Amino acid sequence: MIKWKQISSLVLATGMALSMAGCGGSTSETTASASPETSTETKTETKEEAVATETSEAVPKGVTIDQLTLGDNADLTATLKILTHRTDIVDTVFQDYVKQFNEIYPNITIQYEGTTDYAENILLRLTTNDWGQICMVPSNLDKDELPNYFESFGDLSTISEQYMFVNNREYENKVYGIPSTGNAQGIVYNKKVFEQAGITEMPKTPDEFLDALQKIKDNTDAVPMYSNFSAGWTMGAWDAYIGGSATGDADFMNVKLPHMKDPFSKRDDMTGPYSVYYVLYEATARGLIEDDPTTSDWEGCKGMINNGEIGTMVLGSWAVTQMQEAGPNPDDIGYMPFPITQPDGKQYASAGPDYCYGINVHATDEEKLASMYYIKWLTEESGFSYDQGGIPIQKGDEYPAIYDAFDGIDLIVDNPSPVGEETLFTDINNESEVGLNTDNTPDSAILEAALTGSKTLDEIMAEWNEKWAKGQEKYNAEIKY
Amino acid sequence: MNAKTESIVATKSEGKFSKWIKRGGWQKPLVIVTFLFIPLLLLFTFTYLPFFKMIQFSFFDMKYLGAREFVGLENYQEVFTRDDCFKALYLSLYYMAGSFVQLALALYFATLLSFKTKGNAFFKGTMFFPSLICGIAVGYIFKFFYTRGFVLDTLLSWIGFNPENLPYWLKDTRINNMSLVATSLWRYMGQNMVLFIGAIMSVDQEMYEAADLDGANKWQRFKYIILPSIKTIVVLNLILSISGSLSAFEPPFVITKGTMGTGTYFVIMHKIAHENQKVGLASAMAVVLLVIIVLVTIFQKVTMNYLFNDGDEDESRAAKKKRKQAEKQKKLASKGMGA
Repeated sequence: MIKWKQISSLVLATGMALSMAGCGGSTSETTASASPETSTETKTETKEEAVATETSEAVPKGVTIDQLTLGDNADLTATLKILTHRTDIVDTVFQDYVKQFNEIYPNITIQYEGTTDYAENILLRLTTNDWGQICMVPSNLDKDELPNYFESFGDLSTISEQYMFVNNREYENKVYGIPSTGNAQGIVYNKKVFEQAGITEMPKTPDEFLDALQKIKDNTDAVPMYSNFSAGWTMGAWDAYIGGSATGDADFMNVKLPHMKDPFSKRDDMTGPYSVYYVLYEATARGLIEDDPTTSDWEGCKGMINNGEIGTMVLGSWAVTQMQEAGPNPDDIGYMPFPITQPDGKQYASAGPDYCYGINVHATDEEKLASMYYIKWLTEESGFSYDQGGIPIQKGDEYPAIYDAFDGIDLIVDNPSPVGEETLFTDINNESEVGLNTDNTPDSAILEAALTGSKTLDEIMAEWNEKWAKGQEKYNAEIKY
Repeated sequence: MNAKTESIVATKSEGKFSKWIKRGGWQKPLVIVTFLFIPLLLLFTFTYLPFFKMIQFSFFDMKYLGAREFVGLENYQEVFTRDDCFKALYLSLYYMAGSFVQLALALYFATLLSFKTKGNAFFKGTMFFPSLICGIAVGYIFKFFYTRGFVLDTLLSWIGFNPENLPYWLKDTRINNMSLVATSLWRYMGQNMVLFIGAIMSVDQEMYEAADLDGANKWQRFKYIILPSIKTIVVLNLILSISGSLSAFEPPFVITKGTMGTGTYFVIMHKIAHENQKVGLASAMAVVLLVIIVLVTIFQKVTMNYLFNDGDEDESRAAKKKRKQAEKQKKLASKGMGA
């Protein structure tokens, strides 16, 4: 009898220890442990259904997104987990979408999981293979890795007839990511502040822009250009302008940059990457940014620009809606292209996809099909681009009103890297640690140098050139331009 | 015959085994194994496995995803030739200086609060409270605290400072590292203090009485009674703070993102691993830092040993020497007698 007691207490103790070990996983564990139950349920259901109708078994393999019609396979059953970077709308806008989608596909259960620091976390989670069914394809994933992690949506030629920007996440003519929305690169500004400052014509060159900022400083109480320095990523955002906006050349980023000698040097006509960083450096050096950039506040700046306390902010078009919604004056918020004019007298603006949806290649066939339906619905029916002030992905859809200022301005979509050089840009970019569009530190260093006067812009750009050349050397990139 | 002996042997061994079972001899190993299994498993999966993986990674040129290439010691070479890695270690001097201030303050408050003071528990609580807050939250608190015209500036203007003349706490490169050190001082001081209070409580009360009789003042009481009795804890805290200041991460990462010359070794390592995707190089940096910390700790142990007698013996160095010599002589004498 005594022994039984001892044994049972042992069992209890180990059981408790095990359950304690299970506690470590926090919230993500709970969703993960919840889904197997539901998915086994759904699997048995689909088997029954398959016997009855045989539709869900027949369709899945190798289907592409252009072949689907929304509303078909309405009895499709699956549970989808979606990883997203939009923590701000996970519980609101996305839940609404799920509800609407479930009116067509009642048996598809969709869970969203918002992740802060998405860009860093997603790479780690991808290595586990069972992170969920849909995620936003990380932008720093090498293109030749795409097929190892994501399901193809179909051929580039057919999909690009319907959708914009799909060449961004493409490898060997297959598309692995459908953009959630598109962005143009420009500058958010407050129309009223511009009026008060006496700026009548939109600045079109870096120096005109700096003059305009000076006018704002002299004639109003507003901060001419709010840098948002302390947020970090807002500095990295400056890299987005050095392609189309600064050169008007769709080949610049992926085709030419890896093969260029001294790409960051000053050009006489004030175009190219140098002129973008020139605006940042000079605005800082001339005291046209906020008083203390190290304690700037990203959430607070939205209301400030809405109320006319900030003149301009250099951010992608996705930011416009947020600025409009942050206060009582949505009509004061305007959006203008980056002030660089090409030798042909025209202005250009970089445009490109926001994060793209990708489907887990390790998901089951039902889940893949359901994911494809949902992504198709998001792209064509949800109105996400209009909600977010982005460029619609479906070709032929009208642009939201904020792009009115872009009339007569050509949107430049970067061409993909040529075949055989899919990873060259990323390799050189990482190796050199110039970190275009990935690393905020070099851009922050420009503002720091301007603030303390420790280095001139020419010195910084020369350093970047040197590092870039080292990266090119390591990966044997031929210098052609 | 054969079969019989076999069966006898079988019953005999069975008998032994069942006896062993009956005696409960299995219980001890089973209990040990079951109780140790889970902690050891956790320790292995979450500490040793990642650690050995990291050492392995440090010999590869690799990203998080994609192919790896073995490069031998190249990553280590780069750690030592890059100009930003070891320069970042200079910043640790700020944190080390801060940790001395922190320990001195903790010792001061601990001594005050170990004796009857008004509001004793309240002060202990408030000073210990910051160490309960998560480091990231502390970072955000202090970002607002240091913002121009916010908490700190307002407080200082109340006591008569002209807000115009106050420095920019995080922008000014001459003082921003000190501002960051102050946040970690604020956070960890209470924790050190509680450890010190615990140690001081264990000092024999009669010693104070005896000291009072001899007419010792408060400072003498601290110097000759309290400090020698809690040497062990002081040394321990010192070692922890110094190795902690070599790996300072949270304040610069959250408050300044390592900008404006505040990027410590850890912040730079994080940047190299995540932004530049050089996982191998970052792992090598981590291993190098580990070696540095181990060396510093050994160095500290040795110096403390010399200065404070390792802090865990009541006997002073001189007394020990004398005693040992006396023992030796005794031995020699007894040997001589024997011969």
